[in-house]
Amino acid sequence: MMESDRRRDSRTWDWDSSQCRAQLDEVFFRPHDYIQTGSLEHKEFWSFFDRFQRFKGKRDMSLSKGSDEVKDGNQESKSRKKASVDLGLPKDYDARYRINVSVCTRDVEERLGVSERRRQTSSGPGKEEVATCRLTLLHFLDFCQRQSFCKLAKLRREQKSLPIFQYRDRIVELVRTHPVVVVAGDTGCGKSTQVPQYLLSSGFSHIACTQPRRIACISLAKRVSFESLNQYGSKVGYQIRFETTRTPATKLLFLTEGLLLRQIQQDAELGQYQVLIVDEVHERHLHCDFLLGVLRSLLRLRQDLRLVLMSATINIKLFSAYFDEAPVLQVPGRLFPIQVIYQPIPPEEQPSRSEKLDPRPYLRVLQGIDQRYPIEERGDLLLFLSGVAEISTIQDACQTYATHTRRWIILPLHSTLSLAQQDKVFDIAPPGVRKCIISTNIAETSVTIDGVRFVVDSGKVKEMSFDPKAKMQRLQEFWISRASSEQRKGRAGRTGPGVCYRLYAESDYEAFAPYPVPEIHRVALDSLVLQMKSMGLGDPRSFVFIDPPPAASIQTALTYLKEQGALDGHAELTSIGRLLSQLPVDVVIGKMLVLGSVFSLVEPVLTVAAALSVQSPYLRSAQHNPDCATARQPLYSNQGDPFTLLNTFNTWVQVKAERGGGSRKWCRRRGIEEQRLYEMVNLRRQFKELLKSHGLLAAEQGATCWRDRQQRRQRLGERKKLHQLKRDHDLQEGNRRKVLRLEEGEEGVGSSGSEGEEEGRERRGKDGAGQSVDIQEVKFKLRHNVTELQEAAGASRDLSSRQQALLKLVLCRGLYPQLALPDEHNATRKDSEQIFHTRNKQGVVIHPTSVFASDPEVLHVPEQEPRETGPEKGESSRHQLLAFVTLLETNKPYVTNCARVPALQALLLVASSVDTNADCTRVVVDGWLELTLSDAEAALRSISSALTLRDDWERLLQAQLRNSATGPAAPAVSHKDLGKLSEGLVRFLLYTEAASTLLNKVSYGLRRLGGLESQNLYVGPQQVPGLPDAPALNPLFPGIKAEPHPVKGGLRVTGFFTYNCLSDSKDMYSECLRTFWSCPHCDLYMPLTPLERMHHEATCRPAGELQPKEEPEDGKAASSSSSSSSLTRVYHCDVCDKDLTLTSTEILKHKRQHL
Amino acid sequence: MEFGSTEGTPRGLFTCELCELTTPFTYYGQKPPNTRAIVLLEECYVMKDPFCPEKEKFLVLGSTCSLCHKTVCVGADCSLFYTKRFCLRCVREHLDQFPPPIQAELMKKKPTGKTPGLASS
Ligand SMILES: [Zn+2]
Ligand SMILES: [Zn+2]
Repeated sequence: MMESDRRRDSRTWDWDSSQCRAQLDEVFFRPHDYIQTGSLEHKEFWSFFDRFQRFKGKRDMSLSKGSDEVKDGNQESKSRKKASVDLGLPKDYDARYRINVSVCTRDVEERLGVSERRRQTSSGPGKEEVATCRLTLLHFLDFCQRQSFCKLAKLRREQKSLPIFQYRDRIVELVRTHPVVVVAGDTGCGKSTQVPQYLLSSGFSHIACTQPRRIACISLAKRVSFESLNQYGSKVGYQIRFETTRTPATKLLFLTEGLLLRQIQQDAELGQYQVLIVDEVHERHLHCDFLLGVLRSLLRLRQDLRLVLMSATINIKLFSAYFDEAPVLQVPGRLFPIQVIYQPIPPEEQPSRSEKLDPRPYLRVLQGIDQRYPIEERGDLLLFLSGVAEISTIQDACQTYATHTRRWIILPLHSTLSLAQQDKVFDIAPPGVRKCIISTNIAETSVTIDGVRFVVDSGKVKEMSFDPKAKMQRLQEFWISRASSEQRKGRAGRTGPGVCYRLYAESDYEAFAPYPVPEIHRVALDSLVLQMKSMGLGDPRSFVFIDPPPAASIQTALTYLKEQGALDGHAELTSIGRLLSQLPVDVVIGKMLVLGSVFSLVEPVLTVAAALSVQSPYLRSAQHNPDCATARQPLYSNQGDPFTLLNTFNTWVQVKAERGGGSRKWCRRRGIEEQRLYEMVNLRRQFKELLKSHGLLAAEQGATCWRDRQQRRQRLGERKKLHQLKRDHDLQEGNRRKVLRLEEGEEGVGSSGSEGEEEGRERRGKDGAGQSVDIQEVKFKLRHNVTELQEAAGASRDLSSRQQALLKLVLCRGLYPQLALPDEHNATRKDSEQIFHTRNKQGVVIHPTSVFASDPEVLHVPEQEPRETGPEKGESSRHQLLAFVTLLETNKPYVTNCARVPALQALLLVASSVDTNADCTRVVVDGWLELTLSDAEAALRSISSALTLRDDWERLLQAQLRNSATGPAAPAVSHKDLGKLSEGLVRFLLYTEAASTLLNKVSYGLRRLGGLESQNLYVGPQQVPGLPDAPALNPLFPGIKAEPHPVKGGLRVTGFFTYNCLSDSKDMYSECLRTFWSCPHCDLYMPLTPLERMHHEATCRPAGELQPKEEPEDGKAASSSSSSSSLTRVYHCDVCDKDLTLTSTEILKHKRQHL
Repeated sequence: MEFGSTEGTPRGLFTCELCELTTPFTYYGQKPPNTRAIVLLEECYVMKDPFCPEKEKFLVLGSTCSLCHKTVCVGADCSLFYTKRFCLRCVREHLDQFPPPIQAELMKKKPTGKTPGLASS
């Protein structure tokens, strides 16, 4: 203090000194002042101060030079005489008179005697400095006011200039007076941002606005909250799968169509909303079409509900008619004129099938633009192609041209690119250079890029369709519709007049379909039908869709859901089906989750299910980068892709726990899109919560982690900091666009995901203070407990071979019937020519992203088989099948996300149809796979064990599901029973490989049946009466209607197993097949037929283990489940002529007495 | 982040009589709430500054012309403050009484004259 006093006294006040400024801070920026020391405004004030002083200095200089002011002053006094009113304005101009604010600061308070701390002022800054600072502060406040007001005025101006603005009152009026209103307007009319605001500001509340895309929910919520001056409040929010900004104060919510449907599933009347706006209905997404159907019936229940459909001006009548001729308000779009040029591709440049696209027609457009339009006239080019391969072909050619001319930056755009690469299309090209964005139809509606002046339309699109016969997705190329064509054209006229080059003839255009085929006509309806069932919408075939899907599609879905066990014979939901309908994933993935929760495999199954539900984190572009490939190597598992994904996730969690944000670099090194891993971790958590809420997972898990109060406090403190970081990030997030470098595109070809690109992105993310905030990392930490995750990852990282076998079985049962058989000649083929067969599709190949694509040998049957047991040719104990997640046909039919499973074991444990001959040496699975076992004893043993295991498994599963249906209570299934079952399953799965087990290797042949063979497979029903002791056999399977199979013949023993129905059966009576057998568990030793033995094994348990008969059993459930057996029954012995109540083993023993 | 309760309930709609800018205001007067040190030199229509995260930051929307008593926004095309609020119409009418810098400013503005109300004057 003494120091500064002296300085001031000696007139050494230094405005640049931080101490001097700090002294003024104590006068002007105290904790209770309008601006506080340390705040953002405070920082801005001092930089304003410097600018203001510089400005004042310059102005003073220029004033002292000229004398104009004096002249003006004279004029002023002259004209004043004319004035009628004296405004009483001060004579001398002072800018401070223009400020309508005054500030009461410490100096003023002291002058007024408010403050007592008079003594301190003597050591503060001098009067002059205080005055300077005060004046600057006033100007600063005025400046801030002007700045904010300008923003507000600009906002209002923009709102007013939107074409929809003049319909504002009309829209509100229509919604007030009609239950359903259709607002149709083209791109740029402003309907998506304005209509919700109009309703909000005219008093409607509880408004939900659906969007087909998550990204649109976020960006619209942001934009609308800004426009409705509620940027920092929560009046406007969004809700998507894992994220919400919704609070009790939220009045307008943007959400996805799927999510609104889920909410209806919870609350059929949707009481939480007053107005529903369904946007982009013309896009005709599956969810949207369904949602419209559901809302149509909801309107009858809710007279007060208001529904607004928003659409492009496409097919409006359809929507209006569906809702009882609802009024339509049509709003013109705001597009600049667009010149259309038809440039059909000449025949010699037409690509023939299987040939690469000829780039010449596209290059001509680029050249044409270079020749015709001066480079000073800005304007980028957007080129629409059908798919990724096409994009890469044209990109290469254009890049060569660009490198040569240095006038273009070529950027690809499709959904499999990394997000960083996708983001680049929004960056700005340097002067004299145009962007050429080569895109799929993603840029038609989903992604909007400003500044596009030229559009090139190939007229083609690749669309996914579903082939119900082959149970296969198919990605095919089609001509686009006229509606799409217009949409593409429109992209050229958003910011100014544009040009659209159509690479087809006008006659082609005329021949296009008017609209694209709605999704509901193209895709598998499994999930939709399941959801309809769970919403109690009755028979899906009679539901009134806006545009009903083909009846066959619905039938296929119903059949499939029955096959999967989600629906019962009456097409009603089963307990597992009810659960599956709640899971936002494919039925197969949902099944996997439920199955995994039964065993102690929850953690790995959660991860695998999540991983299989998101796009692969492995960037395809990095596949050919040797560094990435090497770095990825340790993550690969030759067990299959799900295991690779599991390893990847677990290792990533480990990296995150150790290095936090360093995981970004770890991912980049390996060519991994970290965003996908974040999605996985979120999805995983959602699955976990669902399982918990359904009582399939004990709730106490994880609660142990934060027992410690100290720990909890620490965690709370950390969370507070994270929240602050997120807020800071949100505040700074603007549309700061980077200027592209000319070399940008050149790097893009081949080696994407390069360091340079990512560094650039990081640079952009840096905040003012210079430290980089990885917002994903912040969100991750806010949402997840890393320690808990690490434990979970640890639990599933080093799976024992037993756990791995069990996990595979769970995968396989979940994915069943999605199985593929390696072709028998694969061992002699090149890696790239390995082919596989599914039941409905022959000659499928493994997708190049799969581990098996580069390592197919692990799928081959080993050549050197031990010959001691003398297996016949082609027999082996090592046959394997591929369980796969999707079958997708692009240029070839590909299977993706595959895992290898042991064939015999997996089939016997999961297949829904297993048929055998009399001695079980020939087994046909699902009517297409034949297994031949030369060792009859081994065959019988395998089948018998499988029957027992499946029966136990099913019983435990049903008990678990029953429990979940009645609400989470005490575990329905004892750990001991589960342990036994897993032990049994593991032993069964591994016995061919582990020599130490009791069971020997089973060698068998495996082949696919030919068409003719599978047609003449069964003996058929007429053969059945020939069985001599059918009545005697029948009672051997109590609780199961072991009756002749009505179609196949033979004897249906369980729901999936039919004995002795194969037509080439050796025609032996079962009596002749009796062989001596000793039961390992009891003292039974007697000659038994195969069936008798299977049955004994199914009911006889080792000493000390609960016999199934002693378990209390829910009678109803037992009779509803086809494979579970009731335990005792009435047996009529013909010899004794008595009715006896016996277990089946007892019956066997009883019968033995009479032998 | 919850400002729902503290955003202040709108007291009415402020509409500029010249440019028709309309927006809800939460306070009218010279002492915006939660701002101990600030005093306005005129009675103003005020709202919470929507572009600023802190809830006590305010934004002056407009006030009343001291001559014609029209409600006008603070936008440079509608009004100016020079010890008192004047709508630009009144300023033009009494331009001679304003100091030269303001006169110069107004001269520059004339050709662009965006505000509909100004076209007639
Ligand atoms: Zn105004
Ligand atoms: Zn006036």
